[in-house]
Amino acid sequence: MSLTLQPVRVCNGSDEEGMLVFDNDQRLVAVLTHLSDQYGDVSGHWYLEAKFGLLDGLGHPTYADLDAAQESIRQRLARGR
Amino acid sequence: MTAGPHSPHTLMIRKLESIFRLYTEEKQALHDLPVQLQLLKADQDIVRIGDSPSQCCLLVEGYTCVYKLTTEGKRQIVAFYVPGDMPDLQSLHLKVLDNSLATVTPCTVGFIQHEDLRRICDRYPRITAALWRETLVDASIFREWVLNVGRRDAFSRMAHLLCEFRVKLKAVGLAEDDTFDLPLTQGELADAIGTSNVHVNRVLQDLRAKDLIRSKGTQVTIPDWEKLKAVAGFDPLYLHLESEEVAA
Repeated sequence: MSLTLQPVRVCNGSDEEGMLVFDNDQRLVAVLTHLSDQYGDVSGHWYLEAKFGLLDGLGHPTYADLDAAQESIRQRLARGR
Repeated sequence: MTAGPHSPHTLMIRKLESIFRLYTEEKQALHDLPVQLQLLKADQDIVRIGDSPSQCCLLVEGYTCVYKLTTEGKRQIVAFYVPGDMPDLQSLHLKVLDNSLATVTPCTVGFIQHEDLRRICDRYPRITAALWRETLVDASIFREWVLNVGRRDAFSRMAHLLCEFRVKLKAVGLAEDDTFDLPLTQGELADAIGTSNVHVNRVLQDLRAKDLIRSKGTQVTIPDWEKLKAVAGFDPLYLHLESEEVAA
């Protein structure tokens, strides 16, 4: 499963940069937000802001970098429900 | 610690009196209950799901929470408790606990033996009524929380939780001038309002930016009570307080 990322601005109240995440079939599966410096320990991490379908059960984790986020999303999509 | 405004018995009586009028003789009977005090660290289970305790816990100092876990280990806090509360009072009649109770902050708790509670309930029917009412109010709070977590947005959910803390603490004399101590982590707040730590962070920033709350260390101040109540959709009816003053 290969994922495609597309930069996006996320209107979440604190003007953060994000990424749209698409699957093999170019379907939107998640929105990741790059956390600004207001979040203490997780500032700079990537936050699973929104997710669709199979990713629903993931909750709202944060990832140290985009590679970790993509790996987690890939695993969840591969695992199925 | 048997007398004074924050003694275990005084807190228990003040809490019960906030929802049910007690007479002198009944207050004296409650005052004579043997209570065994224990100091507990933060984040420690007091009783766990599946336990069959022979005593109830009276919270004297600090905050506790009742929680349940999904099979994956995700935690939902279903209630917070403040001094004066008896968070596992249902164990007097339900033999096996269906939830866990944990300290959120360092706590002083008092343990009261079930047999002692049964003894005064047998002798004083109005104490039985007061304790019954206490568990009914607990159920009402759970219903309000289902509405809160299920149907309000995160901003209103957090505002509602803060309103509830303010009224519950005021009822036992622990919130003056709309200021109270709230030493909870963003993770604990997230587990209570069913969202993520990140979202709790944003909501708290937003509440501060709109001057709906002010915080200094662990102290929270509500500058405009009516405004916060409106944002939260908070109606204190569900707390069934005897005096409307604490919710005003």
